Amino acid sequence: MPLVNFTTREITCKLVYYGPGRSGKTSNLLYIHGRVPEHRRGTMVSLATQSDRTLFFDFLPLELGVISGFTTRFQLYTVPGQVYYNATRRLVLQGADGVVFVADSQARRFDDNLESFQNLQENLLDQGVDIRQLPLVLQYNKQDLPADLILAPPDLDDALNFRAVPSLPADALHGSGVFESLKALSALVLQRLAVPR
Amino acid sequence: MRALEPWVEAPLAGFLAESDARLTLLMTSSGQVIAQHGFTRSLDVMAAAALGAGILAATSELARVMGLPPLDAVAHQGKLLGIYLAAFTTPRGRWLGLVVYGRETSLGLVQLFFERLVEELGRAAPAELPARQVLAEDFEPELNRSLGALFGR
Repeated sequence: MPLVNFTTREITCKLVYYGPGRSGKTSNLLYIHGRVPEHRRGTMVSLATQSDRTLFFDFLPLELGVISGFTTRFQLYTVPGQVYYNATRRLVLQGADGVVFVADSQARRFDDNLESFQNLQENLLDQGVDIRQLPLVLQYNKQDLPADLILAPPDLDDALNFRAVPSLPADALHGSGVFESLKALSALVLQRLAVPR
Repeated sequence: MRALEPWVEAPLAGFLAESDARLTLLMTSSGQVIAQHGFTRSLDVMAAAALGAGILAATSELARVMGLPPLDAVAHQGKLLGIYLAAFTTPRGRWLGLVVYGRETSLGLVQLFFERLVEELGRAAPAELPARQVLAEDFEPELNRSLGALFGR
């Protein structure tokens, strides 16, 4: 659950961008970092290899503003996507309040998406979290590539979106879908703190 | 000093006075800040908490992979400053501490008073958890406005 400070009226949520290697998780954070005013964001921390692949995690703290009288902050993390970094993925996933799964829309990456999604479910289960209980948004990235190279969102929905969670097409390099994904996940995460309807 | 819940403040104030530490951060094992002293910007605190939790998690995992007993503390000693990172158990779950100290004190003193801090936190923790429902039912328009403003839309 998000951390709530009743004394200073602050809410902090941990949001994790998960997905296969090179699907665009870090690009999401870089775009957000570039668009958000400096006074509303902290330093972006990137623990990367020499070839700029995420080694441990990327981290970007954001100050959203006041929601229902509570100053609301997001901690955005990415996990390393490469298969062999599973130990670090598990560590970053600890205590996540919500996940944006960034899928690579290229047809040739179809199996990588499935493998990463299964890996997400397994790692959550190891921590006693049922993926069905966790706020989740699917982002189908690289939809700007030529149509013959990619799968359309309905096809990706068929493969990944069993729970009918929000799914959004994106082009994270240029920003399309980035804001919408964060918005969709934020709403799901904060709904858990709201008075039941 | 800022703390998530008031009962953390007195033990932490005692630790700061006795250990002479410069910066102190208490956080959950997932890197969420519980209390802090000495930082100037809340956003910097969050980055420090994320990195501290990452270091301790990686150290614990390294020990597990190598078949070593759990490693719950790490110390980095620089020329002018040192960092002490330690995991501990409280009635509220597993927490982590990050302490930055200078030449006015020592790693040994920091460790000694940190152990006392852990004991005092254990005694001070109230049994009841705070209420969870905090936001108004109609928070979403405010959320959308805040996100829109954040992204300049």
